[in-house]
Amino acid sequence: MRCIRLLDVLLLTAVLTGCSNTGTVFQDRFFALGTLIEVSIYGVDPALATRASAQIEQDLLTMHSNWHAWQPGALSITNEQLATLKPFTPDPAVLPLLQEAGRLSQLSNGLFNPAIGKLIALWGFHDNALPIGSIPDSNAITALVQQAPGVNNVTFTGTQLVNHNPAVSYDLGAFAKGYAIDRTIERLREFGIQNAIVNAGGDLRAIGQHGDRPWRIGIRHPRQKGILASIELAGDASVFTSGDYERFFEVDGKRYHHIIDPRSGWPANKTTSVTVIHDNAAMADAASTALFVAGPDDWIEIARNMHIELVMLIDTDGIIHMTPAMQSRISLEPDTDAEIRLSKPAS
Amino acid sequence: MTRADRILIFIVVSALPFLYTRMWAGNTDAGYLQIQAGNNAPITEALSPDRTLHIHGPLGDSVIEVNNGRARFVSSPCRGQICVQTGWLQTSGDLAACLPNRISLTLLGQHPRFDAINF
Repeated sequence: MRCIRLLDVLLLTAVLTGCSNTGTVFQDRFFALGTLIEVSIYGVDPALATRASAQIEQDLLTMHSNWHAWQPGALSITNEQLATLKPFTPDPAVLPLLQEAGRLSQLSNGLFNPAIGKLIALWGFHDNALPIGSIPDSNAITALVQQAPGVNNVTFTGTQLVNHNPAVSYDLGAFAKGYAIDRTIERLREFGIQNAIVNAGGDLRAIGQHGDRPWRIGIRHPRQKGILASIELAGDASVFTSGDYERFFEVDGKRYHHIIDPRSGWPANKTTSVTVIHDNAAMADAASTALFVAGPDDWIEIARNMHIELVMLIDTDGIIHMTPAMQSRISLEPDTDAEIRLSKPAS
Repeated sequence: MTRADRILIFIVVSALPFLYTRMWAGNTDAGYLQIQAGNNAPITEALSPDRTLHIHGPLGDSVIEVNNGRARFVSSPCRGQICVQTGWLQTSGDLAACLPNRISLTLLGQHPRFDAINF
């Protein structure tokens, strides 16, 4: 009898531990696109996951080479050709990227502006290494802003481009990562993978789910250690955050970050971070930048223009601005005591 | 019900809170440190004993401290020093990276609260 009772205990223990099985997640990390890439794949043969991850690593290295504005490659050559103000046919590796970036820039009323590469370079944010303590000459900033470089200065005729503004130079830093993540998700699907996350330096797209539960994503607090909010994703969604803490330098205690307002030429100064959720990573990437620049006064209008429904913006006073749709999707951490302001639902 | 039955029931009931927190409650305790240096195979390090690690990257050595189940960048030959300013990593899923020196630290555990972190 005692043996049977002991067996009961062992069975109970086995059931308890068996229920804790979290399934199999293949994880891989590597450096590409100037950041750390993390690939999580659920529920496939590890050999297949390894092959798929190796393939997207190669894909991303190629994209980085093609799309980097400041290293030799297709985009830097395109910028050289744009500077001639003569018609030319760009490398096919960058043409669709420029067209899509132009479309999103127009939707954002130019607040996402991929044509301000010269301003980015003036601030020193084009380099992988951060600039230290060097605010650009304000006259040089003003001169570039007055030339108003924008995607409207570039005419697309079939596969030909012609630029009409010598101040135009493309920098796709606020867009290419999202576009690249979309391509990697397509690649994973070609491998038959339906449940995965591709996380590029904190910006990610998740497809499918983690076994019988959604993927669980933590959104880091922009000013404190730890998590501000969490969200569960099942299906297909991208989560992108633009923040003033990602790349910055300080002079006399003032922070100068990498998200430049194309209207002023200076870092946008009313926002701490913007998180956007959208099924398309390229759109989420461009929108998070545009809404950051728009700031707490104008983000609602720009979000509506871009058809973005899930937005959380934290302003420099720590106030959390959200769409009602976002509030219903995310869970703020219990210790969050910030004021929350909801936008009115779109009419 | 014999005395042995009561003892067994007591043991099982006593173990339930432990098993619950261990198996379901999102234990965030980090189990080990994963170091990614360039695109080489990741290095896995235990979080004890306390020690200092020197990891070589394209700019030079990044110095990593493991202390009391935590890890951090002590120094790195980069300009921004964001990796050093990140401070201690102590919860499963915590991450710090020196992108210029292509070295990242990630704390991994059996039951991380999140599958990915957005920032």
